[in-house]
Amino acid sequence: MWEPINKDLLGGAQETRKSLTYWQDVWRRLRQNIMAMTGLIMIITIALLAVFGPMFSGFTYSEQNTALANIAPNIELTSIGDGDYVFVHNDYKLINATSEGELLGAPEIIEDNKTAKFILYNINGKEVKFDYSIAQKARTKGSKVTETNSDMKTKYDIYVDGQLIDKYDVQSIWNKTYLLGTDNLGRDVWTRVLYGARISLTVGLVASVVNLFIGVLYGGIAGYEGGKVDNIMMRIVDIINSVPLLLIVILLMVVIEPGLQTIILTIGLVYWVGMARLVRGQVLSLKEQEFVLAARALGVSKAKIVIKHLIPNAIGPIVVSMMMSIPSAIFTEAFLSFIGLGVSAPEASWGTLANDALGGIRSYPYQLIVPSVAIALTMFAFNFLGDGLRDALDPRLRK
Amino acid sequence: MSRYIAKRLVSMVITLLIISSLTFSIMHSIPGSPFTKDRALLPEIEAALMEKYGLDDPLWEQYLNYLGDFIQGDLGVSMQKIGVSVNDMINQGLPVSAKVGSIAVIVILALGIPIGMISALKQNSIIDHIVMFIATIGIAVPSFVVGTFIMYIFGEKLRLIPAGGLDGPSSYIGPVIALAGFSLAYVTRLMRSTMLEVLRQDYIRTAKANGLSQLRVIGKHALKNALIPVITYVGPMVASILTGSFVIEKIFALPGIGKYFTESVTNRDYTVIMSITLFYAAIYIFMVLLVDIAYAFIDPRIKLDD
Amino acid sequence: MKNEKILKVKGLETSFFTHLGEVKAVRNVSFDIYKGEVVGLVGESGSGKSITCMSIMKLLQHPGKIKNGEVIFKGEDLVTKSSKEMRKIQGDEISMIFQDPMTALNPVYTIGNQMVEVIRAHKKISKKEAEQTALKMLEAVGIPDPAKRMKNYPNEFSGGMRQRAIIAMALSCEPELLIADEPTTALDVTIQAQILDLLKDLRTKLDTSIIFITHDLGVIAELCDRVIVMYGGMVMEEASVIDLFSEPKNPYTIGLLKSVPNPDILIKQKLIPIPGSPPDMLNPPKGCAFCKRCEYAMEICLEEVPELYEVTKRHKSRCHLYHPDAPEVVRKQVM
Repeated sequence: MWEPINKDLLGGAQETRKSLTYWQDVWRRLRQNIMAMTGLIMIITIALLAVFGPMFSGFTYSEQNTALANIAPNIELTSIGDGDYVFVHNDYKLINATSEGELLGAPEIIEDNKTAKFILYNINGKEVKFDYSIAQKARTKGSKVTETNSDMKTKYDIYVDGQLIDKYDVQSIWNKTYLLGTDNLGRDVWTRVLYGARISLTVGLVASVVNLFIGVLYGGIAGYEGGKVDNIMMRIVDIINSVPLLLIVILLMVVIEPGLQTIILTIGLVYWVGMARLVRGQVLSLKEQEFVLAARALGVSKAKIVIKHLIPNAIGPIVVSMMMSIPSAIFTEAFLSFIGLGVSAPEASWGTLANDALGGIRSYPYQLIVPSVAIALTMFAFNFLGDGLRDALDPRLRK
Repeated sequence: MSRYIAKRLVSMVITLLIISSLTFSIMHSIPGSPFTKDRALLPEIEAALMEKYGLDDPLWEQYLNYLGDFIQGDLGVSMQKIGVSVNDMINQGLPVSAKVGSIAVIVILALGIPIGMISALKQNSIIDHIVMFIATIGIAVPSFVVGTFIMYIFGEKLRLIPAGGLDGPSSYIGPVIALAGFSLAYVTRLMRSTMLEVLRQDYIRTAKANGLSQLRVIGKHALKNALIPVITYVGPMVASILTGSFVIEKIFALPGIGKYFTESVTNRDYTVIMSITLFYAAIYIFMVLLVDIAYAFIDPRIKLDD
Repeated sequence: MKNEKILKVKGLETSFFTHLGEVKAVRNVSFDIYKGEVVGLVGESGSGKSITCMSIMKLLQHPGKIKNGEVIFKGEDLVTKSSKEMRKIQGDEISMIFQDPMTALNPVYTIGNQMVEVIRAHKKISKKEAEQTALKMLEAVGIPDPAKRMKNYPNEFSGGMRQRAIIAMALSCEPELLIADEPTTALDVTIQAQILDLLKDLRTKLDTSIIFITHDLGVIAELCDRVIVMYGGMVMEEASVIDLFSEPKNPYTIGLLKSVPNPDILIKQKLIPIPGSPPDMLNPPKGCAFCKRCEYAMEICLEEVPELYEVTKRHKSRCHLYHPDAPEVVRKQVM
């Protein structure tokens, strides 16, 4: 008990704690952040869907089928006997469907009487009469007929082989042919949303690349050179920064046709400015530190000092700023497309999808909801991941 | 101080000159004139029009003429809407945009700053989580979506607010929410994160160690420091909100300035594009200047005399 | 030195509850502070000296928590006090100053504003009177032209001047106890000496007790009456300055003294660093915190935490060598 300990048995006097490299530590903290991981998984899912989704959707983004336009993702089927079903479209027509919710297309029309307001169809040998004259009668009687979807049933009657069927006996089912419905030209909304994701992610990618290559280098050079060079470079940044983004887009639109390239060009022109300022500030404070002086004293070239010594030390803020520029670029694209300054038809972007849906919002709100949810989910994902990265990269939280 | 402001005003004029010459040369580099439209005009008529608007003069002369008029406060006449001057457009549109915009700005500041502070003080509490959840939604959902849904639900379905235009106080609710939404969420989040940052500072520890009350530590020592980054964001934000948002004006059918601007772009209405561009840029740069002056008042470390 | 006890810390235990587990930063620390004395608190970074003082002041940040123990100040236990009750004591009866004067003052308010605020938080006097008090304090800490300097912002002060202003602020309510957490570490050597002189001077003038946290033994020798040596969250040795420097009674203190250069150039003494690094407080060793680095470690040191033995009157040491059964030979060899 009172014997001296044999030091060799202790395995050396060194007390060590398992240490992690910087990125291991960042990854560990990021992994613990549920929100950030949710964001990361969402981004990966969206990216996979954008790349591969359109291959499996069975439609192309521009394929039109006006006979099946404006059909909601959730449809109500009316049975007309013998296992045949019809879907009553808001545009006063019938569409043939299976009991599983697959749309078979517009049935054969025997007679379309526009004065008496009925349509006679031939569905699998049955004569189906779709009578929508009551809507007209109601209107002439003076009672109010609203345009909304829910009151549709008061406006028509269906007769199968002369027999009135119960129009309230319907089953609500998911649209199996068009998962998210169709737009006003009968294009598959799901496919178009996936194409929109491609555009959004492209725009986000461009923003981050521009940030990384132009912004980081520009800011790095300005900060490291200092003096006159810095002054002139920052004046240019000030000028770019003092022009509202929208004006730049609009001026570019005047020169080149609106489209994805205009948006990408705009983002390329302006999106590096914030990053340049951030990196310049970081470099300005870092370059006075001893390790840079040491590198300089050892004759390391300027470019190498900036790239090897200064930028890696500012990597935390750079990554966070880059991450945050992506949702902002996606937002800008959606916004520009929404006001008609973005991609042009028939190409689909979330902004144009939302804009196209505005006209029919009363009858077909899903056409607006779908792209809106897509934008919101993507924004959530990038913001969650960005916030998580900010926390994970914060050196003060390192333990 | 006054020397600094004078200096900044000079650089503001220089920036505006650069922007104006850029805008001017970009617009005139496009083939065709404002009158080349769907149906071809007789060459004589086009020539007459060109002469009337001075478009047959050498470019530099056009530019100088334009600048001369601009300095005198004459922003020119629309080339598409006969007899309507750009001054008229701004006089009609700006009050509408500014009125809705200033309400939105007040809402953003009056709610964003205190809510962000409370959220920071109650970090990781239920209140904090709820606030951050709503704020994240506010940042993630674009204003045009918010606007459209407000319009659809409250205007069309529930009929609680007018379905467009500006009549009565209730008609402001929709546009203000749609206009303020994103920035309100952003300011709240920014306020929260800077507040958390400031609360970690040594001088807060000093204030606590000296036995100052919670109210003083937060309301005096932390708040003023935390406001600095918020002001940076708020400056340009005020400029863009006051001058109206095209989208919100479109959705709520407001006769604001944004409408004229979008129209002028699609119509290639040179004078209107030029003037409104410069007008926007001027307000924007002016707000940035105001922010820098406000900085100097809040933070004594920033010197304005260089 | 009067024998009036103003602060009694008894069995203080403070832990940080992190995601990795409980970090026991302060383990069963007890000591007394008497009126008018300057007590040095020495130890390496992470030895728990700052956390001990933050616990006394109740300024611990989340996730830090006092687990156990008492802090008796003027007959009242501070540990049980609410933060509202503590505010009446903080800055008034116990003040604290921190290491980095560059960041300890609020950059957006003038020195005068911040001082007046503190004074008026504790004394019911008018703004004018508070300004007078502040002025007097700034003069006392040797700030030239105090009336003008009061209107200055912290960034217009040099580091040394700021630390003087911070000391003035801390002493403006004439506290009975001043806790100084490495107040000279961030300063130049010449400025350091000035601040030490100032503290010595003020202590005789105001009769304030001071707890002086440092890792610099030179500063201790210069300023303190008594020294508490901390290691691994525990008190290792407690003695008067003279006793500690002349006859250290703990292997850790001995190691510490050997690793400090002697300023006397005539004595060319070899510096001997203590091998190894401080213990991991997440999993503190079962026995003595220092045993793995200790030259004289015995088997018992791995198993049991030694008691704080009273070696002579007012000289305590936490080491198994003072156990009655410990081998006399080794003890003699050590001391």
